[in-house]
Amino acid sequence: MVEFFSWLDKPLELSTFLNMVIGAVIVLAFILGVVTYTIYFERKVIGWMQWRVGPNRVGPLGLFQTVADVLKLLIKEDVVPAKADRTIFLIAPIITFFPSFMVLAIIPFTATHIFTAASNVGVLYYIALSAMSILGVVLGGWASNNKYSLIGGMRSAAQMISYEVPLAMSMLGVVLLAGSLNLVEIVEQQKQFPYVWYIVPQALGFIIFLISAIAELNRTPFDLPEAESELVGGYFTEYTGFRFAFFMLAEYVYVFAMSALGTTLFLGGWEGPFLPGWLWFAIKVSACIFFFFWVRATMPRIRTDQLLVFSWKVLIPLSLLNLVITAVVKYLI
Amino acid sequence: MFGFLKGLKVTFAQLTHKKVTLMYPDEMPDFGERFRGVHKFSPEKCIVCNQCARVCPTSCISLSGSRGGDKKLHIDTYDINFEICILCDLCTEVCPTEAIQMTDTFELATYNRVDLYKNIFWLDDNRKKDEGILEHGASAGGDK
Amino acid sequence: MAEIRTEELLMNIGPQHPSTHGVLRVVVKVDGEIIRDVEPVVGYLHRGTEKLAEDLQYTQIIPYTDRMDYLASMINNHAIVNAVERAMDLQVPERAEHLRVIVVELNRIASHLVFLGTYLLDLGAMSPFLYAFANREKIIDMFNRISGARLTFNYMRVGGVKWDAPEGWVQDVLDFIAHLRKEMNMFHELVSGNEIFLERVKGVGIYDADTALNYGLSGINLRATGFNWDLRKNKPYSIYDRFDFNVIVGEKGDCYDRYVCHMSEIVESMKIVEQAAQQIPDGPVMGKVPKILRVPAGEYYSAVEGARGELGLYIVSEGKDKPYRMKWRRPSFVNLQILPKLLEGQTMSNLIAVLGAVDIVLGEVDA
Repeated sequence: MVEFFSWLDKPLELSTFLNMVIGAVIVLAFILGVVTYTIYFERKVIGWMQWRVGPNRVGPLGLFQTVADVLKLLIKEDVVPAKADRTIFLIAPIITFFPSFMVLAIIPFTATHIFTAASNVGVLYYIALSAMSILGVVLGGWASNNKYSLIGGMRSAAQMISYEVPLAMSMLGVVLLAGSLNLVEIVEQQKQFPYVWYIVPQALGFIIFLISAIAELNRTPFDLPEAESELVGGYFTEYTGFRFAFFMLAEYVYVFAMSALGTTLFLGGWEGPFLPGWLWFAIKVSACIFFFFWVRATMPRIRTDQLLVFSWKVLIPLSLLNLVITAVVKYLI
Repeated sequence: MFGFLKGLKVTFAQLTHKKVTLMYPDEMPDFGERFRGVHKFSPEKCIVCNQCARVCPTSCISLSGSRGGDKKLHIDTYDINFEICILCDLCTEVCPTEAIQMTDTFELATYNRVDLYKNIFWLDDNRKKDEGILEHGASAGGDK
Repeated sequence: MAEIRTEELLMNIGPQHPSTHGVLRVVVKVDGEIIRDVEPVVGYLHRGTEKLAEDLQYTQIIPYTDRMDYLASMINNHAIVNAVERAMDLQVPERAEHLRVIVVELNRIASHLVFLGTYLLDLGAMSPFLYAFANREKIIDMFNRISGARLTFNYMRVGGVKWDAPEGWVQDVLDFIAHLRKEMNMFHELVSGNEIFLERVKGVGIYDADTALNYGLSGINLRATGFNWDLRKNKPYSIYDRFDFNVIVGEKGDCYDRYVCHMSEIVESMKIVEQAAQQIPDGPVMGKVPKILRVPAGEYYSAVEGARGELGLYIVSEGKDKPYRMKWRRPSFVNLQILPKLLEGQTMSNLIAVLGAVDIVLGEVDA
């Protein structure tokens, strides 16, 4: 079975192509399930933290709440505002949504990464593709022809540009240590001497990664582009129905993808004793996701100018420092 | 510098806090005896003194009565318009015979404005429901 | 380098907006994220309370006052019964006075809790809102037990209060105060030390005491500038002169000071409630009042310290059972005036921070 699906080093034939398609479809379906229950998990966790029960009506323990929500969104009328730039308005959610699935291609879920492209430029690929999503956000904000959306889109652009840099640089520390951009290789490296996950030598890098990841994901306390209390809905104020669902889907896929990336880079990926690899991976990813939700339940929102100042004056110098120290130490040892 | 960590600790500790919400409508809230909900009306107690209609700040009560064979006034119609009633309780406060009183019914939402005009039969039924004579949810005679 | 020409954007914040606390409309001109001009537009919730009052007897006006500052209805009740009692020179029984002080101060706590919760929600933190409301809910439940309603209490009457406290109610109030002390500690830990929160409120929306007085501000908006003025101390009404409490003043007059004042005022109100609940005597709750209230001809002004400032009531009477003219000095309405001054040159995110800290209730602004 594994033999059949290991298409990586085979020539491109019909059968390998078929394998790739099947693999992609399975990952896609799997991710949809993950997203469904990420949303459920978020609502439950935040509910519990706020003395509430969380979703509990649809299905046992409210397990089908998200399914019902998505169904509702799918059957809603697809409204395009009269003054909107129609074409851009229609394609913006798709531009946001596609890269979010594409980045999952390089995430190694387990040791026997059946559907994972063990690409040699994995880290770079992730950064490059996730940067594409922002185009959709900016275009959506612009095309809606709504002032709130416009401000949300512009804020989003400024924020993403600022936080891509520290995010990438915090990853570079790990890349330096592992000597590879290949995510599978990075996990393999963490298994070897000195047998610690990169969170230990790269503690500063991990903190920078977490902060920039939250900013990159537009989550509280950095959720300025969609700041509900200021901009109503931010860039997706005018979106309804399944186009809105696409934006939300992209957001939660990124939550999963970013957690998976963090797990791979800093927490040793699927590696761990006793339990099977996929379970370790799931546990670590859930812990990361839980952390995002936990922060969301606690923090107020930062202000735009403070956000940019924080990135350029604090995070980027710190990540540069981290990079230099890592390089020097690596050279000396 | 790290004051926000305290906040994180607080929210984490709340995970096991007792839930404060109520599973409405499976569990109904207990509003106690003084609760000012929709009125109930006992036609036999009413002496048609008109005080409730006069004291009502929004003039949402209208009533009429007539003299029966025993020379006493009897209530004929008694309508409360719940579109404008503010449930202020002044009518029950002035009523000398406790004919008009309030219950703990509070669900007034309807699909139709007309449903908010409650007449003497509805209010009497509401009394019966409140006193347990009539079953809850039963709609007898006076729905208007 | 040539100047880039940018257009100013005219934005309508509200009347339907998550953070205007009701139906306030703020017309802002923004240049990027910088606010150039602000104009608050009020009146979307205008119900003509003052005009309606001219056609109502004094007792009938009380339910209308519930609906002005709907977060602090007890204080509004107190304002009108206090005004009529002063005008008619009526005596209120001791027990009624104590009950009034207890419910008024509890309502002040509830109102400040709503401020804290919604203010943090405006700034983007969700959980404090739920915690504040869960505690407010306990107060509301107690009001429900004593007055039969959860928001529009209609509890006070000229000459006393409508109901005596039910059995065990006073003890429950004391228990709740002890419980709230702990919860306030939690609130402090959760919010007061959070760097992001401090960054957002410190130094934002500053004005000094002179400006505040010129704009006619009162309540916490005035005290936050360091100006010591509280009607409960400076012009004692009811039985406030018997209680031991401090007037909380701020230092700089920024949003942070207003937040701190709200937090500390809750503590002071808890002190008053405790003292009143411990001293409460037995006796009737309704004094001797004429069947039909007729305020002697003349003009009267009296004010109470509302949750948001000086809640004044000016009555012109011709000696009939209805007022000839009734004018409410509504603190929210007066406090809102300073908004344009505070907002010019600020960023969009500060708009919400400043508007939230001014703490308006639209029911009161529009009356």
